[in-house]
Amino acid sequence: MSGLRLRGVTKSFGSVKVIKGVDLDVADKEFVVFVGPSGCGKSTLLRMIAGLESVTAGELHIGDKLMNDVDPSRRGIAMVFQSYALYPHMTVRENMGFALRFAGVAKPEIQRQVQEAARILELEPLLDRLPRALSGGQRQRVAIGRAIVRHPEVFLFDEPLSNLDAELRVHMRIELARLHKELKTTIIYVTHDQVEAMTLADKIVVLRDGIIEQVGTPLQLYDDPDNLFVAGFIGSPKMNFLKGVIVEGGVRLPGHGDVVVPAREVAAAGTPVTVGLRPEHFAQGGPAMIGVRVELVEHLGGETYAYARHGQSELMTLATNNARDLAAGDTYEARFDPAELLVFGADGKRLR
Amino acid sequence: MSTLEQAVDLDHAIVARRTGPSLNLPALIRRALVYVLLSVAAFVSVFPFLWMIVSATNASPDIVTGKATIGEALLTNVVGFFTQVDAPRIFWNSAFLAIVGTLLTLAVSSLAGYGFEVFRSRFREKIFGGMLLMLSIPFAALMVPLFVMMANLKLINTYAAIILPGIASIFIIFYFRQATKAFPHELRDAARIDGLKEWQIFLHIYLPVMRSTYAAAIIIVFMANWNNYLWPLIVLQTNEQKTITLVIQSLSSAYYPDYGVIMVGTILATLPTLVIFFVLQRRFVEGLLGSVK
Repeated sequence: MSGLRLRGVTKSFGSVKVIKGVDLDVADKEFVVFVGPSGCGKSTLLRMIAGLESVTAGELHIGDKLMNDVDPSRRGIAMVFQSYALYPHMTVRENMGFALRFAGVAKPEIQRQVQEAARILELEPLLDRLPRALSGGQRQRVAIGRAIVRHPEVFLFDEPLSNLDAELRVHMRIELARLHKELKTTIIYVTHDQVEAMTLADKIVVLRDGIIEQVGTPLQLYDDPDNLFVAGFIGSPKMNFLKGVIVEGGVRLPGHGDVVVPAREVAAAGTPVTVGLRPEHFAQGGPAMIGVRVELVEHLGGETYAYARHGQSELMTLATNNARDLAAGDTYEARFDPAELLVFGADGKRLR
Repeated sequence: MSTLEQAVDLDHAIVARRTGPSLNLPALIRRALVYVLLSVAAFVSVFPFLWMIVSATNASPDIVTGKATIGEALLTNVVGFFTQVDAPRIFWNSAFLAIVGTLLTLAVSSLAGYGFEVFRSRFREKIFGGMLLMLSIPFAALMVPLFVMMANLKLINTYAAIILPGIASIFIIFYFRQATKAFPHELRDAARIDGLKEWQIFLHIYLPVMRSTYAAAIIIVFMANWNNYLWPLIVLQTNEQKTITLVIQSLSSAYYPDYGVIMVGTILATLPTLVIFFVLQRRFVEGLLGSVK
């Protein structure tokens, strides 16, 4: 039974600091996803938890034990790699039983464990094949099976689905969610795909440049982001951002006829801000309105997205509540509820 | 024209080109030239073997006059070879030196190549660069100091004198370092999490995964060891340790060299490398291509 506790954890490679002080608590049996753009340090942090990279400073506890200098095999963890890292010269059965064999577990017991894991993952017919005779999805399941037989207290996944095709990825995502329910263990999962993060996580940790930007449940991050980065990173299609200035009673958005949108008083009048509106906020309509010029329309059948500009703004994405007759070149009255508006200061911090 | 029609058309064009009435003159000449060149190259590489085999069947005077047809002296030559030299002894010497030398060279040099690639250290590239520089020193320049070294160690006339200098082969270290670049580092990570120590990773994961690389290295090192002539000539001064290459040379420096006998010896000396090569051939090609799957 094991959670994790990280306190002031840093990592440097020579003079380059890649993890710049991370404090994080992971509860027992929690599914935590580290997400962030490439180079944000999420994989390094995972490898530090695994013991594959040393901890430069700070404390790393797994369960109640300080694990900074403990060998990877003694941390009670198992890891699934992006490339699966199956031993190519061993059959599926040998791959899955390898760690146990090295730990000196008796043969019949290994056999039982491997069978059990193979049953959970529906790998029984493949047990005597070599990895090269398996498809990508099957290899992935073997890699997970290899982790399961060790009965770890914490599972670590390093971008496990990124080598699979889109359809299989969706399938494996559901499998992983099911597996988490069945195994009832702590999982730490690294991905750069925010959809994976949203769908799998109990808790998302958004990382950028070696620091944690925000921690929260998927919907907390979606509805209530702390800063521009999290607001822009979580959600698909992305949140729209418009430059504006705080005025009395609202935010002025320069563009066609300077729309003033009512907003709570979050800063002194005259403060330059960025406002964020999610595409679907425009589908619900509301009292506030900005006029936009449509540049491109995407008909998905169930929903129609318009890509449009408000004055000189960046290209915005608007859900239109399936306005099927919309065409490029149209002007469109984008209506929304001003209560949905998120306001960010010049430094990117959310103004609440 | 629909894309399907275009595709069919293209197909016809390709077939026409392959089947040839439209094969124009310059292309024909180019092809002929290629065949002529390849034939010459094939002849140059195969002829010595043919000559060796044909000569082994002829008596020495016939060989000297350039007789190029199969003769009837094979049995005489074979008997001559086995009476003139202590065949079991010299083949044992050659085999022992080649096999033990190959095993030790692979053990030490592959470990070094693996280490150079896998472990980070501040001086790694400098040391490696220095080693590569040493590759450019010709063996002739090392011969005398090496001999003095062996003499000081009292190793003259021992197998060790032949095996030891070759164990840390810079070329093989380099070869293994290059090959290790294709060894997925995640396999090491996975093995570490599975509880393997560094030496166990090398033994249980790296070695079996890289067997093609090892096969290619075995061929290269075994051939070099088996055919090694100059260094054994220097450090082996008694007849007990002499290898097949030395013995063949001593046969040909006789007052009346019997070329038939020499050719029998040469054929016998060629066989082991041929066998090794054909057994490991497929892996040899894989190894040189660097295939880790």
